[in-house]
Amino acid sequence: MRIALAGNPNSGKTTLFNAITGRVEHVGNWPGVTVAKKEGDVKKELYKGKKRIRVVDLPGAYSIAPFTSEESVTSTFIKNEQPDVIINIVDATNLSRSLLFTTQLLELNIPVVVALNKKDLVDKKSIDIDVEKLSKKLHCPVVKTASLNGAGLEELLIKAEEVVGTVQKRSFTEEKTFLAFTEEDYEGKEKERFRLVESLVKDIEVRQVATAKENGSDQIDRIVAHKYLGIPIFAAAMFLVFHLSQSTVGPFLADFLTGWIDAFGEGVANLLGENVSPVLSALLIDGIIGGVGAVVGFLPLIMVLFFLLGLMEDSGYMARVAVVMDRYLKRVGLSGKSIIPMVIGTGCAIPGIMATRTIKDVRQRRTTAMLTPFMPCGAKLPIIALFSGVFFQNSAWIGTSMYFVGIFIIILGALMVKKITGEGAARSFFIMELPEYRVPSIKRALLSMWSQGKAFVVKAATIILLCNAAIHMMQSFTWNFQVVEEGMEATSILASIATPFSILLIPLGFGAWQLAAAAITGFIAKENVVGTLAVVYGITNFINVEEFELISGAGDVASAMGLTTVSALAYLVFNLFTPPCFAAIGAMNAELESKKWLAGGVSFQLGMGYVVAFLVYQVGTLVTTGAFGQGFLPGLVAVSLMVGTVLYFMYRKKPSYEEELKEMA
Amino acid sequence: MEIAFVHKLFHRKAKGRGEKGFQENNLTYAKVHTPYVVQGVHTKDKEMKDFLFTLGCYEGEEITVISVLADNYVVHVKGARYSIDQDLARAILI
Repeated sequence: MRIALAGNPNSGKTTLFNAITGRVEHVGNWPGVTVAKKEGDVKKELYKGKKRIRVVDLPGAYSIAPFTSEESVTSTFIKNEQPDVIINIVDATNLSRSLLFTTQLLELNIPVVVALNKKDLVDKKSIDIDVEKLSKKLHCPVVKTASLNGAGLEELLIKAEEVVGTVQKRSFTEEKTFLAFTEEDYEGKEKERFRLVESLVKDIEVRQVATAKENGSDQIDRIVAHKYLGIPIFAAAMFLVFHLSQSTVGPFLADFLTGWIDAFGEGVANLLGENVSPVLSALLIDGIIGGVGAVVGFLPLIMVLFFLLGLMEDSGYMARVAVVMDRYLKRVGLSGKSIIPMVIGTGCAIPGIMATRTIKDVRQRRTTAMLTPFMPCGAKLPIIALFSGVFFQNSAWIGTSMYFVGIFIIILGALMVKKITGEGAARSFFIMELPEYRVPSIKRALLSMWSQGKAFVVKAATIILLCNAAIHMMQSFTWNFQVVEEGMEATSILASIATPFSILLIPLGFGAWQLAAAAITGFIAKENVVGTLAVVYGITNFINVEEFELISGAGDVASAMGLTTVSALAYLVFNLFTPPCFAAIGAMNAELESKKWLAGGVSFQLGMGYVVAFLVYQVGTLVTTGAFGQGFLPGLVAVSLMVGTVLYFMYRKKPSYEEELKEMA
Repeated sequence: MEIAFVHKLFHRKAKGRGEKGFQENNLTYAKVHTPYVVQGVHTKDKEMKDFLFTLGCYEGEEITVISVLADNYVVHVKGARYSIDQDLARAILI
């Protein structure tokens, strides 16, 4: 038996889905969180019957006629895949708009059960709803639910099972005025539908407080979405998130974890004893435990970040961020909604890129998807933390400035795309529903932190572990499978593969094969950069965050890597602003839906990383030593070529408008 | 015509409402906290017009501006709050 969950955006569908299936799909207090359908089975505890019930969570839709791309997912699913029952989740605090969709669903000949959700809010607002009357008028069962605390869910499932196979009677069958409209007069019919819904709502609902007046949420908005205060408040909120995760709570927790990892490493070393082959013990201790440990040591930072983002998403603030940023993003050709994928992208770029689906305009959506990876994601945090600790005395400015550089690149990139594709005559409007603020739930933020952090841990235990083991082996053996001698590392397999790439990186200040290898493994997972560096330089001790404070410890690492401060900065910038990990590129591919855009996007990211690193290194070296760094001229040639190509695309004479439309499609 | 429209968009001061050639009685002229009745939605974007319709924003419906935040208008329509930009506000006639 298949149940489809349909309803307005932000009405509580995914929360209900999570509650009845036990899954942990991403939820957030703003319209447009769910962009694709999700399926799951009902938990055994809730359903006592014998059948297997499958639930499908759909993106929110305001009506059966789709406007955005996620609305059409809903519309297509219901029409084509014929679920057995539709559970229509209705936000009980807003009946007059919600019931429009309800009455449309009742005309599809599929049995419907209405879940009158958010009953906790209804009770709080002293709204009285005559549920029996509603049920009678709609011709379907109506169950009061509160998906946040699980109320009414069992009853909902029982009713759903009862109606399977029955014939769904349409609503308003008695209303002659409604029936008088033909299918062709769509607008007239819908207006009449609205009118009937309005009178129905008046009949069943008693409100104590009129909603058109200003309420608490509006008063908060006056400050938060203020013309001048809005951006500083947003900046302060984001700064707080990063400060807590990277400078205070995060590292504090990380200290404990790295202490345990160290102890674990020593324990394993003791267990192995003297008799085990040095190669194997090196592989296990330096390669696997050292490499993976280096990455996992940063897990607390990432978890705290996910937790704080979860709080922000739950509060309802995200919609206001979109409002505040809209007027500025408009100027670079993006929509206010583009900011949400970028904020999510500070946790992980993949859900961020997927969140671009709520942006209606195709060009804006693609641009946002392409630019979202420039916001440093959670996986890049270890790189930032490592470098700021080793080369910059743990200064908080390094991390902060990386985000600003990211923002700057995004703005630049958006302007470039705007110029290359042409503004076009279409101006898209901005409209966003503003949900009520609520105190964010610690429990939900913890769940979100756990489900995203779990993915990170799984990644560490699989891909990163494999990569580190492979890297270690490749650096321990030559092509003849001889063990590499001490001091002869350049003869290893890894060195010979990475050296050609490292030549390209000389103008950027880090032409060592170890660094090139680390950057390349970064494409598999950005955390690998830290892991590979730990393996390749044999530095298993620096994962201890405490040692960042010891100058000698940091000095060891710095001298081992052979980087000046400037080239370290260049290397950091390079890894942050090149194309993201393959998984994120895959997500980009899915959202861009065009090989041309994908190629353009990835080349743009590659070029940007190279150019910015080049500038940082050369200009930095010039400033600090008075002369350009190595490989200045070849690098300049390469950079000029890249910049020249982009400028060419930006300023060439445009083909005719029709041709361009065909190209962009 | 569109070019003139865009020009005026960038040269006007914050309080400006748009060129006189268009309808004058649009939402940007509305007083805050006062319910108005929508007279029409004047926009070339048919999809936007249909979308507004599904939200309950069409001729004969009540609309109230709750607040004006920079270039965005927070409006109340059919029991829900939305933030719309100035272009959209100018398209809603009252």
